[in-house]
Amino acid sequence: MIGIEDCLSEAMTIPGALDAILVDHTSGMAVAAEGVPYPEGSAAGLSEAFRATLDGLALSTPDGTIRIEDVIVTTDRAYHLIKPMETMFDGPLLICLRLDPDRANLALAMRRLQAISHRLIAS
Amino acid sequence: MATTTLDSVLTGLAQEKATGSLRVGRNGTIFLTRGQVSYAESTGTPGVEELLTASGRISATAVRKARQAAGAEGGQANGGDLLVGKGVLTRGELEFCVLGATLDASYFLLDRALDSGLDAAGARPGPRSRFRDGERHWLGTHWFFDVPGLFRECRRRKARLDRAWPSSELDTQPVIPVRRIPGRHVVLTALQWEVLLGADTTATPAELARRLGRPAYSTLLAVRELGAAGLLATRGDPPAQSPPVLPKRGERSGPSSGQRSGPSSGPRAELRPGAGQDAAQPYLPPVSADPTDVNLLIRLRDALEALQ
Repeated sequence: MIGIEDCLSEAMTIPGALDAILVDHTSGMAVAAEGVPYPEGSAAGLSEAFRATLDGLALSTPDGTIRIEDVIVTTDRAYHLIKPMETMFDGPLLICLRLDPDRANLALAMRRLQAISHRLIAS
Repeated sequence: MATTTLDSVLTGLAQEKATGSLRVGRNGTIFLTRGQVSYAESTGTPGVEELLTASGRISATAVRKARQAAGAEGGQANGGDLLVGKGVLTRGELEFCVLGATLDASYFLLDRALDSGLDAAGARPGPRSRFRDGERHWLGTHWFFDVPGLFRECRRRKARLDRAWPSSELDTQPVIPVRRIPGRHVVLTALQWEVLLGADTTATPAELARRLGRPAYSTLLAVRELGAAGLLATRGDPPAQSPPVLPKRGERSGPSSGQRSGPSSGPRAELRPGAGQDAAQPYLPPVSADPTDVNLLIRLRDALEALQ
């Protein structure tokens, strides 16, 4: 069982991790960040990216309801992993991790992030 | 502006690194620990206790017991650790619960301090605040906000609301969903769904928040988003008053939660042009290679020859 700060420092031990940020998706607020130069801007941007992904996929999914487990974006410079965690009373908390593509293993990172999210929020 | 505003009182307490509780009139209380805001509660927003019981994790009596047990320990009240120890919630959940409830309450407590130019209360300059040195919340201290940071976040949240729907018209009125939607299908977030389901044409957003066990701010945001999407009726009761000119539907009426419903997949879904199976027809990607790439052509020819 870990707290918010430990969750981020654990995420930063994932091989290839460049920075990590925890975002409150409803309001787009940066809850906590490590290695992120502008947490407020990053939080707003990541929150919007997640929102757009949800909206787009909801419209393109045949059964109409969507539950995202991970968002993976690979760019020419980094891997971006966004994992929503359902909290018991408010919209999801997003844990967002940026990885160095030369050092990171996406599958491993996903597994580690999954494990961390389970220890942070037991639902 | 000669009177002491909540803004200046809080800033002063932050500078003194004060620990204690600041009562804001009858609206609520802000708790400080060494000059940082560690908890806030407001009469208009659900507190940690209500969020916990509404989530079904713990009964109201169990919360009361934990509270009494924490109170019995005297000055070192730390009911939060007690709840974590009992396995009611994880440390992360407790921190997020405290953080969420504090922001939610602060948003409504500091609301007046935010638009300091406007004096919403008329004759009264604002609620009186009273500081009680050393008083702590029974949950203990689990998260901190520095005072300027808290104001900054409240301002950001206000802007976020206005971006969804720039009118406060719906904020205090009963939520009334329209009987027919102005379109064929609609995308909803989980919270928007709960708001629509809970709306009984008499409950205001704040009352709905309490009933649903959701933060008041999130509920307000969902209501404004529903308003922007044209899903809520605006009360046209007083006939003398001409209906207010509504702002144009915001570009981002983007809903906001983990789950979301797409277009209805009823029989009508197939009737919509472009929504059938044909819409997903694969198309050829644009050619990206240089057409005069002789090397590529040679490699292709070799490959074709090898196939023979």
